[in-house]
Amino acid sequence: MRRFLAGRLVQYAVVLWLALTLNFLLPRLMPGGPAQFLLGDEAGRLSPELKAAIMSELGLDRSLGHQYLAFLGRLARGDLGYSLARGEPIRKVVADRLPWTVLLTGSALVVATWAGVALGTVAAWRRGSRVDVGLVMGAMLLASMPVFWLGMVLVATFGLHLGWFPLFGLRTAGATQTGWRAALDVARHLALPVLTLAVHNLFGTLLLMRHSMVSVLGEDFVLLARAKGVPARRVMYRHAMRNALLPVATHFALGLGFVVGGATVTETIFSLPGIGRLMYEAVLARDYPVLQAAFLLVTVTVIAGNLLADLVYPLLDPRVRREARA
Amino acid sequence: MLKRRRARSPALGLVGAGILLALGLVALLAPWLSPYDPHHRASRPFLPPSAGHPLGTNDIGQDIASELIHGTRVSLLIGVLAAAVALSLGTLVGLVAGYYGGPVDVLLMRLVDVVLVVPFLPLVILLAAYLGPGMWNTVLVIGGLAWARPARVIRSQVMSLRSRCYVVASQAMGGRPAHVLSGHVLPGIMPLALAQFVLAASHGILVEASLSFLGLGDPVRKSWGSMLHYAQLRGAFLTGAWRWWVLPAGLMITLTTLGFTLVGYWLEERFDPRLRGGR
Repeated sequence: MRRFLAGRLVQYAVVLWLALTLNFLLPRLMPGGPAQFLLGDEAGRLSPELKAAIMSELGLDRSLGHQYLAFLGRLARGDLGYSLARGEPIRKVVADRLPWTVLLTGSALVVATWAGVALGTVAAWRRGSRVDVGLVMGAMLLASMPVFWLGMVLVATFGLHLGWFPLFGLRTAGATQTGWRAALDVARHLALPVLTLAVHNLFGTLLLMRHSMVSVLGEDFVLLARAKGVPARRVMYRHAMRNALLPVATHFALGLGFVVGGATVTETIFSLPGIGRLMYEAVLARDYPVLQAAFLLVTVTVIAGNLLADLVYPLLDPRVRREARA
Repeated sequence: MLKRRRARSPALGLVGAGILLALGLVALLAPWLSPYDPHHRASRPFLPPSAGHPLGTNDIGQDIASELIHGTRVSLLIGVLAAAVALSLGTLVGLVAGYYGGPVDVLLMRLVDVVLVVPFLPLVILLAAYLGPGMWNTVLVIGGLAWARPARVIRSQVMSLRSRCYVVASQAMGGRPAHVLSGHVLPGIMPLALAQFVLAASHGILVEASLSFLGLGDPVRKSWGSMLHYAQLRGAFLTGAWRWWVLPAGLMITLTTLGFTLVGYWLEERFDPRLRGGR
């Protein structure tokens, strides 16, 4: 177990290092050099002297090795850089937006996992039936839809035509409620985005649960339970489902890694002030430092999710613990 | 353990193949099928559907139906090219890792693990933003990051082929690795590589649509994703115009992805030894 974890840790360290180095190299490899990318279109209009002064101010006139160390040092202190397009430190921009993204994608993950487990169990239990084929095909169809388009269609249907939900944003314009009324307002605004993301992510969980359930249902202990007369329903929920849930738990932990980066296009559609929308705005404004910071943040959370999955699985499944020790 | 029952009827694979065939024809015949040139102003902007413009016009007066038909070419082309890049890289890595084994295999598979952990879409967005918009940039970025899964699948197949008699015989007669690989191992993995190619294409089309939707697509070639980009910029989904401006393009993307996915799963089921029952 320890060897396995150590291997994983090395792997994640490599991923992190690659992401950091990519962030360092990208602006420096591009035609026009880093000044072009930090200053945007302004760079062409500056006088050579001013440009040189800015380069030296940013430390870009020193050796690459020196710059690299300085770059790592800044990150280690939690300094993500400065967004010229916004006129704010990136750390502040990110900190303002992170909670909303986590709320949105976290809720969607919970909904998708719950629905995927329920539907996957039904599909596996009635394997080969029309219900099974219908569920798998339906989820596959939903997963084939581009998530931003799904969001647009849901807004147009449930927001525009039926008027059940607000069209965009996080709060009703000019709303002054506080406490639980404010929370209710936010919940109403988040309903459609959460639904969009959950529907999009349903297929993976459903298929995994179905597959896991089908293989557990073939095990001897299920046969024994049926043979000694345990009612079908009880066998399904108490005996089979508990065991079949193990891979889903890993899937859920991995999904936690995507709570930061998983909603780029969804937040764009619904105009939600999250990390994803931030990336979109950064693309439009060619605000490269913000894009890089967002990418780094997403990478770190994905690694954390992976690590969590590695740690959680042996806790849940004693067989893995034993195998790993042997 | 009971045999895993995964084999669905080939009917679904045929449905997928039919979808792809129809889309391929539309892409080939696009100039003859579309009533207008999608790049020229055909009429007043924001027109609702009429006899002359079956899907109305967009924000600058171009015919949406013609954009949609021509978009088939761009979306299919980018998806297929990206898949080709991913599969070429993936096959190369899979062949080398599976055939040589040992430290080469360990190193390459660690690399695969690393690529699989890196968050895909955010990295694609970052690279596309730096490289700038353009069809080839999109193709290279998507293909250059999507090779890991095919590499892993192909490697496992190569490892099982490596010990087959005809491969060992060829080695024993002094066949060089390049000869053994291209003459004896490669044909054995072709069906599996085809399945992976088709699945990669379905993924590629969705990623291209997301990139173009975010405004990182080719500004000259209009794909379905870039149509949706402008529809979103003009808030088309907040007006009645979504029914002819937003709905058709998304349906086309969905249909294409579904077509590739159905064919891919069907091929994978037929040719992937791990998915066949029994073993």
